[in-house]
Amino acid sequence: MTQRVVTVLGVGALGSHVVQLLRNLNIHLRCVDFDRVEMKNLASQFHAKKSVGASKVRGLQQVMQFLFDRKIEAIPHRLKPENSAALLQGSALILDCLDNFEARSLIQAHVEESSQPCLHGALAPDGQFGRVIWHEHFLADHEGTQGAATCENGAHLPFIAIVASYMAFSAQTFLEQGRKVGFQVHPGGVVPV
Amino acid sequence: MHQNRASNVTIQAHQARVNITWRGHNGDLPDPVTREASLHEILQWVTEAVQHGDVPGIPADMQADFRDFVVDRFAATAARPYHLIQVRPKTPFGVGT
Repeated sequence: MTQRVVTVLGVGALGSHVVQLLRNLNIHLRCVDFDRVEMKNLASQFHAKKSVGASKVRGLQQVMQFLFDRKIEAIPHRLKPENSAALLQGSALILDCLDNFEARSLIQAHVEESSQPCLHGALAPDGQFGRVIWHEHFLADHEGTQGAATCENGAHLPFIAIVASYMAFSAQTFLEQGRKVGFQVHPGGVVPV
Repeated sequence: MHQNRASNVTIQAHQARVNITWRGHNGDLPDPVTREASLHEILQWVTEAVQHGDVPGIPADMQADFRDFVVDRFAATAARPYHLIQVRPKTPFGVGT
């Protein structure tokens, strides 16, 4: 039987952890990210020091193979209007772990047209709030303050991991039961939505 | 009509629970509001409540300022049988890159 394709867009802090948390599902994991691993990423992302300088998706591919003998498809491209349909085509589920309004808007436009299930993950820059929201209820936020700090020193890693876990759980619940559950996550707990 | 067990407040069908996240703390307005409340009204009520320490779970903060926050509105579901209004910080990052 052909495996369902789950496409993860962005394998940084949120997406890299989501990928490793989905490793036990019988799915084809397709990972898309144009960026490369930097030293500063190691503090908060599921990437190895050996991958510094490499494409994030290629690096993650090697880590997943080495640690878990888990194959993933690596696509080291930036999502653009001209390639979004090709990259997202055939996905049983799209996981948006991106970090900018323009790319999220592109995904939303595609999903509106294709009716593919899409789960969005989003974090506040200060690590105080996270959202795991299905497309039907998701509004992308603008970046706001230019240069707002993200998690370059790893201070928010535990909270990022919590949000990633809720995202993986939502994806698993949908893939196994067809139910769409969403969460708003804060450091003190979680509000189902 | 739904009894909010956390705050022991009854939420009518035309009302909504208002949940707030401020500087990592989270709590509900003590009383539900009309679900049709405007953005301006909600932000004003929330600001005053947090400034004066009227939100259980959120320490009083006279500097509380929600002008750059987002108000999400979620309709009642089977799992959550009351309308929910959530006041939250912006979440522009998935830290994908």
